[in-house]
Amino acid sequence: MEFTVKEMDGGVAVVRLSGMLNMVAASLLRVVVGSTVAEGHPKIAMDLSEIDFIDSSGLGALIGGLKTTRQAGGDLRIAAPNDQVRLVLQLTNMERVLTAYEDAETAFSNG
Amino acid sequence: MDDALIHTLRMSSPPDDVGTLHDLLESVWVDAPQLAVRDRFGFETALVELVGNVICHADNGSGVSCTLSIVTADNRIEALLSDTGEPGNVELRGREMPDGLSESGRGIPLIQALVDELTYEREGGLNRWRISKQLGGRPNSPASAPAVIG
Repeated sequence: MEFTVKEMDGGVAVVRLSGMLNMVAASLLRVVVGSTVAEGHPKIAMDLSEIDFIDSSGLGALIGGLKTTRQAGGDLRIAAPNDQVRLVLQLTNMERVLTAYEDAETAFSNG
Repeated sequence: MDDALIHTLRMSSPPDDVGTLHDLLESVWVDAPQLAVRDRFGFETALVELVGNVICHADNGSGVSCTLSIVTADNRIEALLSDTGEPGNVELRGREMPDGLSESGRGIPLIQALVDELTYEREGGLNRWRISKQLGGRPNSPASAPAVIG
């Protein structure tokens, strides 16, 4: 998995991931979220448009990131998941916890 | 299964990981173009979960060797996995998705939601897992997922 972090207006950080979000990549994702929050960006929009595949380890890392951001007074929102990611969210009953936005750069436009 | 196509993979973790499995599945999909995209990624998700669980939880520190056979036919796709890891001390019956903010515990319920059968047995010092999915069907809802112990 590869990633980039881009700071937007309002202090939102857009984290763009690519590749497989699986047990190999999960620990990296936790580090990326932790360091982004530590640098003063507790609002993270996670762009999943280039994630090809997710498993329950990757999902667990997203949930861990969600808790990390909320503990810092922010939030983690996901954007542009593909059909495989949507299926995993649906079957694990996580669609309401990790609501999918269309576009990462506007995921926090409503606050 | 008439006219079934079988792909076999032997892997040792470490150094192999689920990436090795993704590579094999790419060749399976090329050889079995009749599989719908939704069937492919549903089965791939279930199998990666299973192999990931084995690599993570069955390794006693000396690594795990696995033999995986994937059988594709017109109406079904199956995977037979045997591994040298610790006995799979896992309860398959009655598994439910954990609470929303739990970071683990979704692997087995997710497999059961994605395939029609998940079985496990310990035989000859090996763990033997089997998943089977009927093609063209819809994923099971988590609440109605079957839990079969072989």
